[in-house]
Amino acid sequence: MKNSDSRVLEVRVISAEDLSVNRRQPLKKNAFVVIKSEAQKIEAATTVDKDGGSYPSWDEKFSVDMPMHSRYLTAEVRCRGGAGGDRLIGSAKIPVTDFLGGLVPENYLHFLSYRLWDYNGERNGIINLSVRVVKGSPAAKVGFNAGGASCSSTQPWAGVPVADKVSSGGTVTGIPVW
Amino acid sequence: MGNCFSDLAGGRSAVGGTASFQANHSNAPNDAVDAFLKSRGHHGLYSQIELSLSATNLRDRDVLSKSDPMAVIYTKKIDGSLQEIGRTEVILNSLSPKWIKKFNVTYQFEMVQHLVFHVYDVDSQFHNVEVKMLKLDEQQFLGEACCTLSEIVTRSNKALNLNLTYTQEASGSAVPSKLGQLTVYGEESFTSKTTTELVLRCTDLESKDLFSKSDPFLVISKTTESGLTVPICKTEVLKNDHTPRWKPVLLSIQQAGSKDSPLIIECFNFNGNGKHDLLGKVQKSLAEMEKLHASGTGANFFIPTGVSQNHPNKVLKSQIFVDKFSEKINHTFLDYLAGGYELNFMVAVDFTASNGNPRLPDSLHYIDPSGRPNAYQRAISEVGEVLQFYDSDKRFPAWGFGARPIDGPVSHCFNLNGSNNYSEVEGVQGILVAYVSALYNVSLAGPTLFGPIVTAAAQIASQAVANDQRKYFVLLIITDGVITDLQETKDAFVKASDLPLSILIVGVGGADFKEMEVLDGDKERLESSTGRVASRDIVQFVPFRDVQSGQISVVQSLLAELPSQFLTYVRARNILPQPVS
Repeated sequence: MKNSDSRVLEVRVISAEDLSVNRRQPLKKNAFVVIKSEAQKIEAATTVDKDGGSYPSWDEKFSVDMPMHSRYLTAEVRCRGGAGGDRLIGSAKIPVTDFLGGLVPENYLHFLSYRLWDYNGERNGIINLSVRVVKGSPAAKVGFNAGGASCSSTQPWAGVPVADKVSSGGTVTGIPVW
Repeated sequence: MGNCFSDLAGGRSAVGGTASFQANHSNAPNDAVDAFLKSRGHHGLYSQIELSLSATNLRDRDVLSKSDPMAVIYTKKIDGSLQEIGRTEVILNSLSPKWIKKFNVTYQFEMVQHLVFHVYDVDSQFHNVEVKMLKLDEQQFLGEACCTLSEIVTRSNKALNLNLTYTQEASGSAVPSKLGQLTVYGEESFTSKTTTELVLRCTDLESKDLFSKSDPFLVISKTTESGLTVPICKTEVLKNDHTPRWKPVLLSIQQAGSKDSPLIIECFNFNGNGKHDLLGKVQKSLAEMEKLHASGTGANFFIPTGVSQNHPNKVLKSQIFVDKFSEKINHTFLDYLAGGYELNFMVAVDFTASNGNPRLPDSLHYIDPSGRPNAYQRAISEVGEVLQFYDSDKRFPAWGFGARPIDGPVSHCFNLNGSNNYSEVEGVQGILVAYVSALYNVSLAGPTLFGPIVTAAAQIASQAVANDQRKYFVLLIITDGVITDLQETKDAFVKASDLPLSILIVGVGGADFKEMEVLDGDKERLESSTGRVASRDIVQFVPFRDVQSGQISVVQSLLAELPSQFLTYVRARNILPQPVS
């Protein structure tokens, strides 16, 4: 549903690291990623990486609609199984505040990495992605809300005009792994 | 954060090439150090040496097959402790392995540099683990060897043969006297910015397997001046394929030697027992491969017979094709600086009570009436001198943290110059003056928090991004290393990892710097309390007690990670240096 109440994000799923199954065994193959909205709807899915083992890489780009009131996206790494179907390897929440609301322009290309948690709440590897807001809100709010302490030294920033030139071109290079 | 994983999936994966080379940043030559030293007239006192390792007659520790050797290379520090430089890939079932992974070390003319090599047999249960993650005490030790770097460099053929020895006395079993030899080949590496991407394909390969087709892979080697062949990369193994097409191979001119130096491309049939059958070889330089690609023709493999001069080689029907040949220029750190990227330093000084009462001589902040500089003053002037070289305008925002200004509560980020409006000072001298005046105007307090300082630096960096400025920032934190809230600091660092910002922590005094090493994050990526992970390495920690004035190693330790941290930022974002006008 594309309407004025949603942002359009460009999400690039780059890679994952150190994935395991049953806590100790490194994942052998066939990992893929789905991106879900806060409402648990699947917004995007990568292809299956057959060769990457426990360090899969995809480097695939998706356009994801995100409602204005939404607080987070979820990234799930799954493993394409045979008879047993797909299984969850680990998931991570991507809070909107990690790519919106900072001092940087809204269309800044954010490289984000998250700890993945498995079904039992155990740590299981890391996922690397990049997120960029392609179409933002009409009235982009600017305000830096990192940490509480303010610093007398920093000049008060006026509302920052969002420059369109920054991070020109949508192309992102992940870390190529051959 | 790159995965330099070799021999995953039991030795069938690709090794070498530029991808793994770049991923291992600490191994790459550092042009920032170079430029600084040249400006000081240290030209020619040091050079980058690239080491390749091979071994012969290793001990066989596996019952049903041969050993699966991996070599670990260390430098021995002055105090005798070993520092790991890197690990090779694991080679399956081989007692005379030639490892592909290369190591870059800086040869320093004026120092004796001891190198130590350990060779291990990696059990097959560990073959799916990244070599970096392997626990060495779980592996079987095959022997060790030591030499000095100058021994290698001064050999006429640059290759040094060492006998492996066994010093671990714990095991009671008899250790055979012959443990094999290790050969270390050293070559001066020069930087080349050009990387070539090749897609290679073969046709009509022979069948060597009994019941199925061959499982081919390619090994590309270069021939050195002294006639040695040194493998520089291998492709992944493709199963049951007589017309294989491998994933792209990245080769830098640096690895190949030059565009016209002959490369030997060998095609093997993979065998689990380590005896890979040669399916054919060709000798082509990168320039010749470019021609093959342009004309779309293939080159015939041959099998060396080597018996008589009359029948030199048997030419095969199988051919190799170059489906893709593209050259890419990797801009260096200095290219970006010349191309209009500005580097800006910011300084933060630790004013917490753990430094000791500044009126007492044992305090790190003690101002000696005789004018002898205290630990902080020495750190500011010596570190500042190196960093100033790379700062564009020599104006530094300078802050203090963890102290109480005369009229207020404890501040975790106050201007060193005492101003309420601006934080900048002029040059290293400006930092020193502001530092001393701040000491008289604040009282040391606590707790020690880095977060507010990092946030202030992050704001300046964000502002530059918002203004579309081509700037990269380095926050220098000078501290006694005792911090109160490690997690708060990690959270701030993780958040900053997405910005054009690096953090250099210099530790003064004799405290335990364990927490600083954690923040450096070279072993494990920093993780915030919410589960966000630093997207790249932005932190470097240097203990100041290791730093001795005027030595090349000072410059090296300070600038060790900065170029690679900078390059991961700009390269990931496809930012290019502007052409020099």
